[in-house]
Amino acid sequence: MTEREILLKKISTYQFAALDLQLFLDTHKNDSKTLEKMQEYQKTAKSLTKEFEEKYGPLTKSANNRNNWQWIKAPWPWEIEEDD
Amino acid sequence: MFVYEKKLQYPVNIKQTNPKLAKIIITQYGGPDGELGASLRYLSQRFTMPIPELKGVLTDIGTEELGHLEMIGAIVYQLTKNMTEEDVKKAGFEDYFVDHTAGIYPQSASGVPFTAASLQSKGDAITDLHEDMAAEQKARTTYDNILRFCDDYDVKDAIRFLRAREVVHYQRFGEALRLMTDKLDSKNFYAFNPEFDKKCFKAQNKKN
Repeated sequence: MTEREILLKKISTYQFAALDLQLFLDTHKNDSKTLEKMQEYQKTAKSLTKEFEEKYGPLTKSANNRNNWQWIKAPWPWEIEEDD
Repeated sequence: MFVYEKKLQYPVNIKQTNPKLAKIIITQYGGPDGELGASLRYLSQRFTMPIPELKGVLTDIGTEELGHLEMIGAIVYQLTKNMTEEDVKKAGFEDYFVDHTAGIYPQSASGVPFTAASLQSKGDAITDLHEDMAAEQKARTTYDNILRFCDDYDVKDAIRFLRAREVVHYQRFGEALRLMTDKLDSKNFYAFNPEFDKKCFKAQNKKN
């Protein structure tokens, strides 16, 4: 894995933890402990995403405030990077 | 609306070409219990759900299934992108190859193109939630069957992640069904359509 992929995996891990808890909260709306945990994961994912986007370019089109080419040329998620 | 994030929900990094495996895994892209059907089923059913929790669960799970669709596409792509003519012949991949080359096409393992006939949106929350629970189990069985033919760790790793999600979704749909029945008259949960027969709600939950 490249440095980029390692950071991306780290983001995915925290994002996934937050998403799974969000899904849990859909059916357990008064669980404040889980809500807190979810927000903690979300916060970490957010700061890692910021770090990633500064280094490697936008993950979402809306985060793409410079030019469109950076969004287009950065690796697509189904590509394996070592091959390019 | 939807916003695209340029990453997979769980990374897919397959180095070994294997068209034979791709041919069975494509069924989770466009087959009867695949991810495309799953996301369409949930994202369609959610419009008429009678309580907000059910709209939430269906929206969130339906959206996650689109992420799984992308993962399956990535798996099939990586299993076939470097295949040679020799690989195609050896794997018995000719029948897929002749129609799609290495393109990603929504079909079942036996080659039936994607059809909405394998999903339902019944306009009845009780009926739909039971279908959704069954759908998660059908997908789980399919992933278990796929795992019987996998000897590549990289493929197994991604398939195991997807299998585990089916189990979690089943649990959430089970809870959603309970949230629904909690609002209904306990004398007869299953004889009425809560989206149409408003009389089946408990007195304090009766809607006009």
